[in-house]
Amino acid sequence: MELFEAIKTRRSIRRYKTDPVDDKKIEAILEAGRWAPSWANTQCWRFVVVRDAKVRAKLVDTLMKIKLPDREIPNPAAAAMNTVPVIIVVCAKIGIAGAGHGSPGSKAQYVTDKGDWFMFDTALAVQNMVLAAHAQGLGTVIIGAFEATQVGKILSVPEGYRVVALFPVGMPDQEGKAPPRKELSEIAFKDKFGK
Amino acid sequence: MDIFEAIKNRRSIRHYKSDPIDDKVIQTVLEAAHWAPSWGNAQCWRFIVVRDKKIKSEVADTLFKVTVDNEKVENAAAGSMKQAPVLIVVCAETGKAGCNEEGVPVTNKGGYWFMFDIALAVQNLLLAAYAVGLGTVIVGGFDADKVAQILNMPKEYTVVTMTPLGVPDSKGQVSPRKKLSEVMYYEKFK
Repeated sequence: MELFEAIKTRRSIRRYKTDPVDDKKIEAILEAGRWAPSWANTQCWRFVVVRDAKVRAKLVDTLMKIKLPDREIPNPAAAAMNTVPVIIVVCAKIGIAGAGHGSPGSKAQYVTDKGDWFMFDTALAVQNMVLAAHAQGLGTVIIGAFEATQVGKILSVPEGYRVVALFPVGMPDQEGKAPPRKELSEIAFKDKFGK
Repeated sequence: MDIFEAIKNRRSIRHYKSDPIDDKVIQTVLEAAHWAPSWGNAQCWRFIVVRDKKIKSEVADTLFKVTVDNEKVENAAAGSMKQAPVLIVVCAETGKAGCNEEGVPVTNKGGYWFMFDIALAVQNLLLAAYAVGLGTVIVGGFDADKVAQILNMPKEYTVVTMTPLGVPDSKGQVSPRKKLSEVMYYEKFK
């Protein structure tokens, strides 16, 4: 698929068919993630491919409810995660992205006021992955509102790594809607902020 | 350009020609960034397109020096920023991504989800630039407070990253990647 078409037609998909997704397509998605750039080429991302229905069900239980003024509702993607064939969980090695040369690990000296850049670098990879899925006819939706420590336990994520985000991968059973975007003039300025 | 070709062949570019870039091309690149998904569709990203040479040079001066053989030297990206005709500075509105309606963070990542959402947009930006024949390199090691002052940024925003945008004057090198088997696992992290 042409790049700009992929970027503009990708949607967050919250209903999926149960059709299986073969390993080759999943591999192409992860391969796209692997080619993202990263802080000093540290490649802090790690991907866990979950197909096991029991594990998927456990992951669903970690999703946070969404608070409405009068009640709480499940995440709209929760039901989909039980039926979708694959969930990719994105983890990050801590203490390398954003750290100065020669100071990785528990003694990491971070260079900027943002501290560890693991959120940034994993997201570069995630964007490549959701585009690569879409280009192969597969839907995704990035989920961040879950109990990350619980997911870490379910997947035996070792110390020194954090769970960042997860996304289901499957055949879309709906046409995703394009949520309205701000006008470009609201988010892009010339030479100084606000101009 | 095919999307997989763009993903696999994009490189970080550190040398640029001074050839001017049309506003329409910049708009195409920023629109691609703007199509990224975001937490609750908050679209916390803001882009400042800097062409003014004086401002560009002031921003370049905020880059942290790097230590090579125990000696502090200028960050190579500072040179790239002065060569390229355009610098795109990416800022984030804080208290939106990763937060509920009241601006309270809901995950154990605290307020730092803006880093994630900004990077989703930045990756689109890099790919789009490559597809229209322009080079980029993500720069993170700079004094964000100083850049905020130079660009008159309100305090609800933070400067996250920046990239020069220009016609490449050298081929980027392929940074060796870990094997897929080193970064992926099935069912459990092991």
